[in-house]
Amino acid sequence: MALSLLAGLSILVLGESHLTIRGSLIESLHDELNKQGAAVHSIGACGASAQDWLVKKTVDCGADRTGTGKAVVRGPDATTTPIGQLIATDKPDLVVLVIGDTMASYDKEAFPKTWAWQSVTSLTKAIAATNTRCIWVGPPWGTPGGQYKKNDVRVQLMSRFLSTNVAPCDYVDSLAFSKPGQWTTTDGQHFTVAGYKSWGAAIAKAIAASDSAKAVARTGAKPAAAAVIPAAPGARK
Amino acid sequence: MIHLSSRLRRAALAATLLAAPFASAHAADVALYPTGPSEDSSFVRFVNTGDTSISLEATGSKAILPLPPSKPASDFQPVAANKALVGAFILGTQRAPIDVTVKPGEFATVFGLVSAKGELSTKVVRELPEDFNALRASLAFYNLDSTCTQAGLKPAGRDVALFENVPNGEAKRRFINPVALSVQLVCAGKPQGAPLALGSLAPGQRYSVFAVPATGGTRVFFTNDALTN
Repeated sequence: MALSLLAGLSILVLGESHLTIRGSLIESLHDELNKQGAAVHSIGACGASAQDWLVKKTVDCGADRTGTGKAVVRGPDATTTPIGQLIATDKPDLVVLVIGDTMASYDKEAFPKTWAWQSVTSLTKAIAATNTRCIWVGPPWGTPGGQYKKNDVRVQLMSRFLSTNVAPCDYVDSLAFSKPGQWTTTDGQHFTVAGYKSWGAAIAKAIAASDSAKAVARTGAKPAAAAVIPAAPGARK
Repeated sequence: MIHLSSRLRRAALAATLLAAPFASAHAADVALYPTGPSEDSSFVRFVNTGDTSISLEATGSKAILPLPPSKPASDFQPVAANKALVGAFILGTQRAPIDVTVKPGEFATVFGLVSAKGELSTKVVRELPEDFNALRASLAFYNLDSTCTQAGLKPAGRDVALFENVPNGEAKRRFINPVALSVQLVCAGKPQGAPLALGSLAPGQRYSVFAVPATGGTRVFFTNDALTN
């Protein structure tokens, strides 16, 4: 079996509610990256949009998982942690951001483009300032309707917007991984375990094939902060 | 940002999330959270078009923002949409009132104009961006000089239009490749003044070139459209 490009890399995965539920990406994506030999730290924060990772913000729920340990799922004591602090602590070779559904304004007529631009670029600039490579994973298809009012037209718009605005991060287009409605959701937006398994596997494959992973593999991984990455201070609460 | 939070609901949510391991992803139990703001972001900046210092005074706080010719444009500052911003430009004993309301998603530029007779006035020019792009530079051209008709910009030394026919009191914006660039102002089809070096434009950055009235013709200057941190 060929050695994965990700072997030996330290990867910090941040995201929204898709990383907070047991059976979600905090298990499927995290496990896939682990399997490829990466040292992974995943943090999910319900409802967190890009700019929320510049500050410490209390959210309704969250989860934190390090290495091969189990995910620690949190309730209303969950917080985000500023990206600069996370990068300084973890010293990741790659930062992976799974953010999209929290910024698409599915339930609003107008897409808040200016806000999204400000929010996304604030986070990408903060990551770029640390000279850390990053990969932004866009939103997947959901099921039209549901409590979040997710819909195909807006998710396509959100994905297009991210694809042209996340540079210097690489963009991973989750819409290419499935057909609309192919992965079953429970509420229009969040998937069943099978859906999260498919999405997680597809993301991990895309990360391994990304320019960022190739660049890091070419230049060598940074000295890892530790074999077992400590949980972020904000996530320990 | 969290619309439906209450202690009771949060406690119930926590209990749900901390329950026994699930056989399936219990996504239905995830809190309902907003997927974006209730209103798009809006920004305003202030620009001195003259060659003497003016200042901006905010009504209420009485905060003063100096706008010297050496730094004639403020950064874009986030403001609440659909709420009037009231203040005044000040030049000596003259005060030109400012009363501007910015729509969601808009970038408004409030100019302080000093006429040849030394009279101070204001002009608001609004931009509602069609798109953003982190891979290209975004350049706007504002024409504030009524004597510059069919105002436009060309890359210096080339007969290609970057902007053309920008009416007085209006602005146009476009994406360009992030390269080193000098621009030449054109009024009524003829070059005006010397080329203006913009330096190396960076991808994802936004810039503005302003054409303003000046003694002996139209003057141009430019700024990076930075946002206040």
